[in-house]
Amino acid sequence: MKSLTLQQVQDFLRSLTSDYDVQAPIALPDGTRVLGRLDEGPLAIPGGRVDSKPTSPFFPQLDRIFAYRRGSIAMQQPVEKPLLVVGLTAEDADALTFIDEFFAAEYRDDVYFNKRDRSAVIVVSGRCGKDGGFLKIAGGDCDLEFVCDGERYVLVPYTEAGKRLAHRAPEGDEVSSIADLQAESDALPDDDRQVLERASRLLQEDRVPEEFWAEIADRCIACTACNLLCPTCTCFEVFDWTRGEQIERYRLWDSCQLAGFMREASGHNPMGEEHVRTRRRIHHKLAADRTRWGRISCSLCGRCDDVCPSGIGIKAVTREIVRRFGIEKENGPET
Amino acid sequence: MKRVLTTCPYCGVGCNLYLVVGDDGRLVGVEPSVGHPVSRGQLCIKGWNAFHFVNHPDRLTHPLIRRGGRLVPASWDEALALVAGRMREIQDKHGPDSVAVFSSAKTTNEENYLAMKLTRAVFKTNNVDHCARLCHASTVAGLAATFGSGAMTNSIACVEQADLFFVIGSNTTEQHPIIGARIIQVCQNGGKLMVADNRKIRLARLADLHLRHRNGTDVALLNAMMHVIISEGLTDEEFIASRTERYEDLERLVAHYPPARAARITGLTPEEIADAARLFASADHAMIIYAMGITQHTHGVDNVRSCANLAMLTGNIGRPGTGVNPLRGQNNVQGACDMGALPDVYSGYQRVTDDAARAKFQRAWGVRGLPRDVGITSTAAIDAAAAGDLKALYVIGENPTLSHPDIRHVRTALQNLEFLAVQDIFQTTTADLADVVLPACSFAEKDGTFTSTERRVQRVRRAVSPIGESRPDWHIICEIASRAGYSGMQYDSPDAVMEEIAALTPSYGGISYSRLDGPGLQWPCPAADHQGTPVLHVGKFARGQGVFRPADYRPPAELPDDDYPFVLTTGRNYFHFHTGTMTRRSRLLHREERFPYVEISPEDARSLGIRDQQWIHVGTRRGEVRVQARVTDTAMKGVLFMPFHYVEAAANLLTINALDPEAEIPEFKVCAARVRSTP
Repeated sequence: MKSLTLQQVQDFLRSLTSDYDVQAPIALPDGTRVLGRLDEGPLAIPGGRVDSKPTSPFFPQLDRIFAYRRGSIAMQQPVEKPLLVVGLTAEDADALTFIDEFFAAEYRDDVYFNKRDRSAVIVVSGRCGKDGGFLKIAGGDCDLEFVCDGERYVLVPYTEAGKRLAHRAPEGDEVSSIADLQAESDALPDDDRQVLERASRLLQEDRVPEEFWAEIADRCIACTACNLLCPTCTCFEVFDWTRGEQIERYRLWDSCQLAGFMREASGHNPMGEEHVRTRRRIHHKLAADRTRWGRISCSLCGRCDDVCPSGIGIKAVTREIVRRFGIEKENGPET
Repeated sequence: MKRVLTTCPYCGVGCNLYLVVGDDGRLVGVEPSVGHPVSRGQLCIKGWNAFHFVNHPDRLTHPLIRRGGRLVPASWDEALALVAGRMREIQDKHGPDSVAVFSSAKTTNEENYLAMKLTRAVFKTNNVDHCARLCHASTVAGLAATFGSGAMTNSIACVEQADLFFVIGSNTTEQHPIIGARIIQVCQNGGKLMVADNRKIRLARLADLHLRHRNGTDVALLNAMMHVIISEGLTDEEFIASRTERYEDLERLVAHYPPARAARITGLTPEEIADAARLFASADHAMIIYAMGITQHTHGVDNVRSCANLAMLTGNIGRPGTGVNPLRGQNNVQGACDMGALPDVYSGYQRVTDDAARAKFQRAWGVRGLPRDVGITSTAAIDAAAAGDLKALYVIGENPTLSHPDIRHVRTALQNLEFLAVQDIFQTTTADLADVVLPACSFAEKDGTFTSTERRVQRVRRAVSPIGESRPDWHIICEIASRAGYSGMQYDSPDAVMEEIAALTPSYGGISYSRLDGPGLQWPCPAADHQGTPVLHVGKFARGQGVFRPADYRPPAELPDDDYPFVLTTGRNYFHFHTGTMTRRSRLLHREERFPYVEISPEDARSLGIRDQQWIHVGTRRGEVRVQARVTDTAMKGVLFMPFHYVEAAANLLTINALDPEAEIPEFKVCAARVRSTP
């Protein structure tokens, strides 16, 4: 396996811009890290997950679906240059596999796959997290992984596309194994995961009462950021704008934390009460998706906890659920 | 794709965000600024949708001139010449004070400075004002009189240093959501919260004490709290002795407000009032937070002074985590005041009646004969137009036909003008009455600065090209000045305007664009090496000693009677902003609150046979509108609440044009109303 210095990584990514629309972690002037083009700001590979929604290159906040003019429709076309998204974490890549499945199921979402098809994803992991933290190794869920040993990035390909990319990388030092890094990754604490699993079971067993959700809902200011930044949230609103003779149809990130999200034309609203919406967000990720997709759809990226102005992100709420309703675990049903 | 760091165009919190520009040069989203000290990577729903209206098909794209009764497209040359020409013509005929300018709390500091310079240096009148008249004119007057500076005394960061919040007349989680959410977080960790507001707002649900006093009885409540604090020896004697004057006046006046008397006025129990007093006085760091519930009254200035009295009485001022904190509603209403878009002051609150200040501005602007009389306020300007005394009005980014009280009166007044020019980004109902409409750029298309509620001066940056032929407001204002024959308003860019502002405005003396690349500077920032001032009145008040200015309770102008048995109070909701021109063109925001509505208590709804979501009529002596009933325990029995965003059922058709005698702010918070459920 090749291993590259940060400078080599940077040169390598730049060399790929002729064939790919490369989007990688960029440091913006105030320190915000987002997925952006290499000319947008200094490349910021180390630092952990980016602040922006990691799936936004494929599912942006606003996207034009088609334009209609004088009887003809111009549909959105697949991107000319395939996307190369660099800098997802293992958690982000896990979330991406979930939304890939979601957008492909039943009705295949062209607007998503216009960008996702032919794209490649590179995860960054290892000893390059925020404040020197260790980032979990993905071991898959992407085409190629850059595993940092503290100084250099070891290139670990998982797919044919990943191998082709790795092949194009400059000749760096060869590394035979990342076993020590893998061991370090395996030894990362999984407390959050355990809490999530336990909260998931409590929800599936219907052991979290309405009053709890009312308490949480009282604190929610409906900023919608938990949904907007969540890598597995895929809901959007559709609207049209008319400009002269042209009608443009767009889709826009939506949020199940809004009353209008499920309000029916009659005015009836199955999610008309705040506590029902608050419950839905977490119930969906931890219980409903488990039933439908066979897995919890929270990858524990932590964005909703950071972005929530009033401290009710998923980690905070699941900790609270387990603390308050999981006490019967020793002698009650398994949680 | 690129991302441009800028300041949110909605409320006064001053969150910073990145506008995301797509490859086609149009805005495709927003990302919060993680490094900014206020936003810290967080935004409210309006911030997350702040990009949306910019590219709306309804944007004004070319100037319009009224011909044959219709507004038709015209060239910029024609439109600008007409504005300058007509204003001059009318002044020649009727004198300088026959014209007025409404500046805008939505536009930048530079643009507000230029609007007031145009009014004073070119048109030689002090008739310039803006929507602070409708929101915090009482604060500017009330706090300047007591502390010497009419602005939020502390910083948003102080929320995390407070151990008690007294939120009175502020629906903080809806109107200043990031501040509201920080209050929630502090209270989750042991902070105490006291809410005085008869609506059961979100903060009230979480409060340790919720006071549901009658609308417009704040002075009685505050005086009685101070009565208890004094009679139980809970005052900060050292602070009173060393930092304040005229304490005896307060002591004498509040002696007449025992809780039993205040209870009769407010509808609270004497125990509630005493509990509130004790809770407030028990805190080491108590923050008073207020907004329109305090200011928009015929006794708004008295309300503000009473808040200031309470803070001084308990020594809760001049330290982090304390203070009297008026939350400014608009992104740049603080800045518009600072820039002197007010009829009595130049930038930095330098009085037009002060000979030295006038001489200074005459010298700097190269003009003679700056007017020495205070101009008329925007509320008085409407009355003057109706009376035929005001002949021409140039409105920049304001929409008085929805935002002012009693809009039937406003429409009559504007129709009575000889000339009306309106500059905006959308065709508002005010622009519908105009003789000339000038298409302006939105915040996303221009450079400049906004000053947030915590006096933080921060950059606004151009992210996209102007839509259509629209031009930045600063550019349009300067063009009008040139065409009116004044050569002293030619600038290459807004930063050159800021240089002039800094040179003439002591509190902005140290501010320049080169220093605003980071999170901005909080004024006073008098010198280039000054780091700004997060907390005012530390060690000494801006005026030297703080002065107690006690006020007696005065009832609102119009109270319920047999014909109009309800109190109608107005305000905003979370999803919309003011007259809705931007938020109702933002998909999610509009979807959330599509219809005009009135909040009514379950008891009142039951007795009138009104169901939730039923369309009903709400009327006052000024008019009647059809709105959806929202039956909710947020509303107290006897009180109706209506947001004023909706052009199709304007709350301000109903409100009363009764003004505070000092601040001339209208009493949007109280008038008498009735409800009719029949079609």
